[in-house]
Amino acid sequence: MTVFHWIGNFLRHQLDLVPLSAARWLMVGLYLILMFWIIQLSSTATNPPDRPGTWRSDLKIWAWLALMFQIVIYSVF
Amino acid sequence: MAQLTSIDYLVILSYLAATMVIGLWVGSYVRSGSDFFLAGRSLPWWAIGMSLVATDIGGADLIGVGGDAYRYGIVMGNFEWIGCIPAMLVGAFVFIPHLWRCRVTTIPEYLERRFSVQLRLSVAACWLFLMACNLGVMLLASAVFLKSLAGWDISVCILATALLVGAYTWSGGLAAVVYTDVLQGVVMICGCLTFVVIGIYDVGGIEPLVDKIHAVAKAQDLQDVRQREQKLVTNERLAERVKPRHDRPAHESEHLSLVLPVDTRSPGPWPGILFGLGLIVGPGYWIGNQCIVQRALGARSEYEAKAAYVYGALIKNLIPFLVAVPGLIALVKFPELGHERADVALPQLVGALLPVGCRGMFVAAFLAALMSSVDSYLNSATTLYVNDFYRRCYRPEADEGQMLAVGRWTTIGFVIWGIYFAFQLQAFPAGIYTIFQTLLSFFLGPTLAVLAAGMLSRSASSDGAVTGFYAGLLTSIGLFSLNQRGLCQWLDLKPLFQVGQPYLYYSIWSFLVSMTFIMIFSYFLRSDPPEKTRYAIGGTNPDGEAA
Repeated sequence: MTVFHWIGNFLRHQLDLVPLSAARWLMVGLYLILMFWIIQLSSTATNPPDRPGTWRSDLKIWAWLALMFQIVIYSVF
Repeated sequence: MAQLTSIDYLVILSYLAATMVIGLWVGSYVRSGSDFFLAGRSLPWWAIGMSLVATDIGGADLIGVGGDAYRYGIVMGNFEWIGCIPAMLVGAFVFIPHLWRCRVTTIPEYLERRFSVQLRLSVAACWLFLMACNLGVMLLASAVFLKSLAGWDISVCILATALLVGAYTWSGGLAAVVYTDVLQGVVMICGCLTFVVIGIYDVGGIEPLVDKIHAVAKAQDLQDVRQREQKLVTNERLAERVKPRHDRPAHESEHLSLVLPVDTRSPGPWPGILFGLGLIVGPGYWIGNQCIVQRALGARSEYEAKAAYVYGALIKNLIPFLVAVPGLIALVKFPELGHERADVALPQLVGALLPVGCRGMFVAAFLAALMSSVDSYLNSATTLYVNDFYRRCYRPEADEGQMLAVGRWTTIGFVIWGIYFAFQLQAFPAGIYTIFQTLLSFFLGPTLAVLAAGMLSRSASSDGAVTGFYAGLLTSIGLFSLNQRGLCQWLDLKPLFQVGQPYLYYSIWSFLVSMTFIMIFSYFLRSDPPEKTRYAIGGTNPDGEAA
């Protein structure tokens, strides 16, 4: 046994104790954090600078849509 | 599969002709090195977005994911979902706009501006090696599949694919690659969607498909466990026994779950998926891979570069349904194939399910997936060589005309190399594709570490970055060695990992080691001058504008 084997076995044992439902929530949590971060971005960062922004050109909406699909997918499967 | 008919061949030839027309037409507008390598920075968001998706799905991936979905289930979808979408969105709003504003042609070029020429050449050499090898691997893997799908000769497939792709990439560079990728992306999505719809209809709808997947997968898992237990002695049997899981009903298998336990036999245990794929491999690939980032650097504006990544992330939601579900349908239709012969399930399904014309459409979709990846690797390998070696080390005064000429000659050189290497690889064992995926996992962690440290912190120094890059790379190779059966037997050790393909764990390791070395060496050694640190996010570029 090397020190790597010892660390690996310890981590494997600890991670095995985490319920799969909690692991699923961690994944969904990652998407929720991203949604929160994106909503906080300034509108100059998500709209074209050279023309008046419409809802269709605001990238926040489309990024949110992509993340919403992901939350549904990771909640179902 | 059943023989292709003349209608199938007509569909395939129409697709190939359309690709060549688009590629050569775009090529007629290429006048300079800038046009060739970055499409004159004129690409629209919709073309880049589709190209990102098409490039990411190679022909070998299409088949590999299908076969792995047969073996392990929808967990393979993680590689397109959590492995791509979070990284694409963070890239869209943080990293890609910064790289675009810095007006670089390659990622190693950015690393020289921010750190040092040693780091530029090291990163460029690693990626160039990987891309050049991948050209041969992709050509061979796809030719093998085309043989099983359509009965075509392997040598003819390698030569025809390389020459067709080489012709339009030689002519039009990045612009030809991106615009043909748009056609190839549409063909790939339509072809796979048709296949999936026909397959679901054939098994009686979605609900019967789900029920049958659980039933077949449960039976296969049971058989697999029995086979494994027969090979083990009593003590090992106790340790290896499959633990009862209370997270799902007893009649359900793991085949329709994205979250699998630590001891799963699939390549997707949840810690590897979340920490390795979601936080390291995904960001490393979408932010640090020249092949991917190059098309965003060719966007006509910073906003279009961001929009392309967001658009690509939206399309990515659909991809696992197109590439993994056929594997699950094959599982229901041909359960007798088992894990060992899962890779032939897809060609068999094509022959059994698809009517005349649709078979040609699926072959065209496969060719589209293959060509969209080969052309991107060909163009990016050329860009790396010409910009990071030829111009940087040999001919700094080369003008735009010379760059174009050298770019085209280098493209020819890589086509010849790809063909040669694909033929040489035929003598190697079948697992060669996995070896290159493992190599990729060694590079992604250190590449992400130096990029993230360089962009997000002005304290990171060039000495720290060079040391961190090599430390991550070399120690991950050491970790890989500790998992090799031969070495372990010699040292009287057990393999380090219990999952079959632990490359996600190598990437976590290489990233953490790189980052640790960057932090320690940056803290204790000399710091970089302001003309270097201004290339961190929030600094200014040499024109005095916000970088």
